[in-house]
Amino acid sequence: MTTTATNTPVRRRRSFSRKDRLTLSAFVGIPTAFHILLVWVPAIGTIGLSFTFWTGIRISDIKWAGFQNYNNIFTGTPVFWDAIWHNIIWLLWFGLIATPLGILLAYQIDRKIRGHRFYESAFFVPVVLSLAVTGIIWNFMLQPGGFVQGIMGRDISNPISIYGNYDINTYVILGIASWRHIGYIMLLYLSGLKSVDPSLKEAAAIDGATEWQTFRKVILPTMKPVNIIIIVITVIDSLRAFDIVYMIYGSSTGWPILGILVFQNISGGGMSMKGAAYAVILFALCIGPMIAYLKQSFTEDVK
Amino acid sequence: MSEQNNGMSRRTVLKGAAVGGLGIAAGSTLLTSCGSKDAGPMKWGGRGLEESSVQWHEAVAASFEEATGTKVTLNMNDSNAFQNNLSQYLQGTPDDGFDWQAGYRMQFYADQGLLEDVSSVWDEIGGQFAESYKIASTAADGKQYFLPTSWYPWGLHYRKSTMTELGLDPENIATWDDFMKMLEATKKKGLIGYALGDKGGWEAMGTFDILNARINGYQFHVDLLAGREKWTDAKVAEVFKYFEMMIPYMNTNVLDISWEGMRDLLLQKKCGAMMMGSWFSGDFKTLSQADYDDLWIVPFPEINPEHGRDTIDAPIDGLCVAANGENPEGGKALVQWLASKEGMQARLDSGNTFTSANNGQDTSSYDPFQKQQLAVMGEAKYITQFLDRDTRQDFANPVVAPAIQNFLRNPKDINKILESVQEQWDALPAL
Repeated sequence: MTTTATNTPVRRRRSFSRKDRLTLSAFVGIPTAFHILLVWVPAIGTIGLSFTFWTGIRISDIKWAGFQNYNNIFTGTPVFWDAIWHNIIWLLWFGLIATPLGILLAYQIDRKIRGHRFYESAFFVPVVLSLAVTGIIWNFMLQPGGFVQGIMGRDISNPISIYGNYDINTYVILGIASWRHIGYIMLLYLSGLKSVDPSLKEAAAIDGATEWQTFRKVILPTMKPVNIIIIVITVIDSLRAFDIVYMIYGSSTGWPILGILVFQNISGGGMSMKGAAYAVILFALCIGPMIAYLKQSFTEDVK
Repeated sequence: MSEQNNGMSRRTVLKGAAVGGLGIAAGSTLLTSCGSKDAGPMKWGGRGLEESSVQWHEAVAASFEEATGTKVTLNMNDSNAFQNNLSQYLQGTPDDGFDWQAGYRMQFYADQGLLEDVSSVWDEIGGQFAESYKIASTAADGKQYFLPTSWYPWGLHYRKSTMTELGLDPENIATWDDFMKMLEATKKKGLIGYALGDKGGWEAMGTFDILNARINGYQFHVDLLAGREKWTDAKVAEVFKYFEMMIPYMNTNVLDISWEGMRDLLLQKKCGAMMMGSWFSGDFKTLSQADYDDLWIVPFPEINPEHGRDTIDAPIDGLCVAANGENPEGGKALVQWLASKEGMQARLDSGNTFTSANNGQDTSSYDPFQKQQLAVMGEAKYITQFLDRDTRQDFANPVVAPAIQNFLRNPKDINKILESVQEQWDALPAL
């Protein structure tokens, strides 16, 4: 469309009939209206709410609070820093371990190693499950009296503490999250790899490049758009993490992360403004990667 | 459940009531009073998806239909989810009558104008309740917004058979030392002395409440929760010193399990005693009558002779009418029936193990466990609701719950934890 437009811009514009214009504005206008109504109005409302004191019920009760909610969160709520810490660990784990593992898997499967079809489907299965279902499954597996405790010969009176043991629960939860995340990244990367021209790899092989050199110098640069999408997905998924933790701990702060704090405060009654402030903090953390993501997908569309 | 009642004429309803042998003396008076209001179909929002809970809700709804000929649609909800979503629920299209709690939790929603004034119901059946219940049902504007139906004690629950096997008699524990000896003896036999779960964050509040009341007394406890006393007071640290003494006798996975986990430990005879509200006893009964007959409750032992055993957490449950419901008048008729002596009798007859909040309730049909619940509550001079019902909502679960969880994880950090609790209380916006 870009090329046509640059060739004959004037004529194109003239060729819109009144009916065309009506149709076009309807196609653009209606989704935009819905988008503003359902996304931007609540978003701006939430930002506004985070600067108030409000019980969440009568509009007339709203009182201006300035930065007091934020002040309270940053200085008076230790659980907030626990939550930030957990989100950071989550991000580091995904970024340094789970995502690279997914890429490695995709690369190996793309090379058609022996049994690659089996690996592909085995790692793909968790991806079709929603995060909430993943949480339920693993909760059943690991809880006292559950399958894992059972095969270790533990009944409910002498179980191993897993979710309540702060030395290991972080890694257990990250393990569960990775169980799905690795397959997801593998899938994304694999589809990208399939579109890489095989002649590039052949050329690299003829030039005597090693496997690692081929991957680093040839494959990785060609995959740039996919790489950015994967980075953004990794960052956003780590920050907005909620489902698995909620399925295991409920809205209590058994293992606090930002998503749970938002939910706990908004659903409890009388604390909605603090929940809104948490949501704004979460939004601020996510917006950077999100802009990068959108920019990338737009450039790709134009291409 | 109720389809066949739809087209019933009043005559057949009357006949049905007589033939069915409801045995309700006041049935006919209720019929006239409700019939004249032309209550119409109504909805009842129930809490609790456990089998025992669903069972009594269905039985009582059926008895209401039978007695009044008015159709009621019962919507059962998950208890925690219902509580979390109540604000949204009440602002949307709520059921006309719904299960709720007395005290601060009712007060908040009444202040927001989301509850229907039920003073007129109190005018009619208020004589059936103690004055203290009327106070617990009254909001800041002096009107009533709540009708009590049942209450239950928080106490030490145990299985009689287990204790007999161990040669222990929890009913005769006079002091803290005796209590520790009991825990020690249970542990020696390879059982968990004191089962506790705190994954939900609220379960261990029951233990904190009773320790604070036993050590520092009712007034200090109430003042602490209202912010008139400080969490950094040495008296609060003292409470956690006692709490810490109990940790060696607890299961090793306190933060892994919630109240269901505690219940299962007792059900499967893996523990000696546990501190819990008697409401879970319905699950024992659902499982088998033998298990239920084996269940017993005693008050938490005395610690400070000055206060004896004068305080107990005995939360009042009951009903409210939603202001935004489709049929508030119908909601009032519904809660009037449910809270009345007759409605409560239908609930008790269905096998519900709660004790009625109604003064005039005939307790002769109570089983020994229900009578024991009444005795445990009757012994106390002061009644408290429960930590998360006795203090601000933005304090109990977001602040106290993680603090107790932290304490259970690192008991040595208690002073730091309490300082943080006080700081967080001080940082709360004024209401």
